[in-house]
Amino acid sequence: MFAAQLALNALALGSAYALVAIGFVLVLNATTAVNFAHGESVVAGGFAAVAIAGLLPAGIPGIVLLPGVLVVTALLGLIIAGVAYLPIRSRPPVSVFVTTIAFGIIVTNGLNAVFGAAPRTAPALVGSGAVEFLGVTVSLQSLAIIATAALLIGALAFVLQRTQLGRQFRACSQDPEMARALGIRLVRITLLGFALGTAFAGAAGLLLAHQFFVSPSDGGILILKAYIAVVIGGWGSLRGASVGALLIAVFEVGVASVSSQPVAEAMLYIAVLLVLFVRPEGVFGEPQRVRA
Amino acid sequence: MLPGLRRIGLATAIITAGLSLVTTAAADSLRIPVLVPITGFLSLEGTSQKNGAELALDGSDVAFDVADTATSPEVAVNAFERAMNAKDVVSVVAPMLGTQMLALIPLADEFDVPMITVSGTARITELGSPNVFRFFPGDVVVKAAHARYAVEELGAKKPAIISQTTAYGQSGRAELDRNLRALGQPPVFTEGLEVSVKDMLPVLSKVRDSGADVLLLHLHSGPTALVIRQARAMGLDIPIVAGSAMHQPETAALLESAELLGGCAESGWSPISETGPEFRAFADAYRKSFNREPDAFALGQYDGVNMVLAAIRGGARDAAGVRSWLESNRYDGLAMTYASDGKGNMAHSAVILCYIGADRVPQIVKRYRNVTGVL
Repeated sequence: MFAAQLALNALALGSAYALVAIGFVLVLNATTAVNFAHGESVVAGGFAAVAIAGLLPAGIPGIVLLPGVLVVTALLGLIIAGVAYLPIRSRPPVSVFVTTIAFGIIVTNGLNAVFGAAPRTAPALVGSGAVEFLGVTVSLQSLAIIATAALLIGALAFVLQRTQLGRQFRACSQDPEMARALGIRLVRITLLGFALGTAFAGAAGLLLAHQFFVSPSDGGILILKAYIAVVIGGWGSLRGASVGALLIAVFEVGVASVSSQPVAEAMLYIAVLLVLFVRPEGVFGEPQRVRA
Repeated sequence: MLPGLRRIGLATAIITAGLSLVTTAAADSLRIPVLVPITGFLSLEGTSQKNGAELALDGSDVAFDVADTATSPEVAVNAFERAMNAKDVVSVVAPMLGTQMLALIPLADEFDVPMITVSGTARITELGSPNVFRFFPGDVVVKAAHARYAVEELGAKKPAIISQTTAYGQSGRAELDRNLRALGQPPVFTEGLEVSVKDMLPVLSKVRDSGADVLLLHLHSGPTALVIRQARAMGLDIPIVAGSAMHQPETAALLESAELLGGCAESGWSPISETGPEFRAFADAYRKSFNREPDAFALGQYDGVNMVLAAIRGGARDAAGVRSWLESNRYDGLAMTYASDGKGNMAHSAVILCYIGADRVPQIVKRYRNVTGVL
């Protein structure tokens, strides 16, 4: 039973990490650029939830905040694109590294100035407490995290696979020059990638902010997790990013429960090195464009 | 001028203007730079440290500049070296992050300037530097109180320890372990956690499996709240005595009242728990200036800076004079009486706080005075 409890915790944590990693890949696919402000976008989503909740009656479930958080962080994504990517997109990739890192620092310090340095907590998605499920005590928040992440990932899959916009997005990520030649407006797709990717990060921020709190300085750790997930899963692969994120959670929860947390972390990085050594393109590696 | 150079010049002017905003008091007065971690994982505690120093310095004729040391030793070293470019520096408010303090001690000795800090890391006063003055009971004091409360008051026979893997965590864990062994109750379980760990179920399950009857924490603010929340959620029904991060109002604010109830923590003191008029006046002034509740780090740094100001009033006009005064005088601060033990440890008492009522203000349940016997 305890193993089932651990598995559920890992799945909940991995689901939130998957949203972070998928958002990271969406921007990557739209631009070939690494958005180093992505971790801060997760944090911004958490604080957006805290701020919006403060404007609403006390006790409101966090899931009600999701649309607002998605809108706020999608707008943040457009600002990142407009300030830190589009003006320098023709320059070497390292320029985008620097501008997005700088943007992330500005977001961190801005949140620090507005909300203070203390960790904050957002409302629970559907309420606190636990339910008995097949003999396992299941946290409502964990179930809500898994369900919300599944819903968002399913919606994204539908948009990418079943809509014209999604087909245009995929075309741009596979061959931008050919897509441009076919009349697809690359700037529009770039903006869409940033808005969607950052909104996914914001949603992850909301999901994480109740159970695990949110602090202005959390961004650096979260971008590292996204990067590791993408390296494991495959550069540019949405499916790989999800699997990589789940694997990180398995190490953090499962492996840590039978060894220790520092050992689990060391083993995660050894696994990353093994993947890079044996299969550099990642487990679900797709034809690569330029690796940042 | 080339466009690029013009941009650099403009940026330099803007940065210089920005830096001057955090500089106060007359340029020809004595100066106390405030170097504290305002950003990064220790920003909550570092902001308290800054606020305490500012509250003491505001209204004095001593100039001060605030610089963020973030979380890396390199940033702290750069901030220190920049601060030393100014004239008439008589003391430095130094960061509470142990790794930064360890990097700054050789510099303080080189510049021969005393540092006042609230860092709890034991080692900073064990390196033989005459320039470290700690105005917060170090791990030698608070971990003795922590362990004694667990064993003597809670009757712990099988204590477990969860600590951070940072220098702060390692230092506190070593002292806890030493004190528990001295009391005849060595820990049955010990594990270190990275600051970034989110899910505490794995480590808590190992605490439960160890048969521990009391859980001692030595963690930063967020991890402390995470452990307490998840311990309550999984029904781990043993007393939890946390480190000083737990006493901070911001940490308590992360938890529901039911999660807080019965939880205890060690600290040097707790300004919001004291009822004396002088404490109320300090808390009111703090709230008015910073719109937040004061904590032990703010009060410790407040007392530390006030002792330096007392040294200046007592005739010290340079760094050597301040150092000599700090070494050889007692000072009745707001929290306690301070005196150096010869190594720069100025605070020698600790308290245990518990969340007993429905509110979020902890009550002092045990005082451990003059633990080191220096006073």
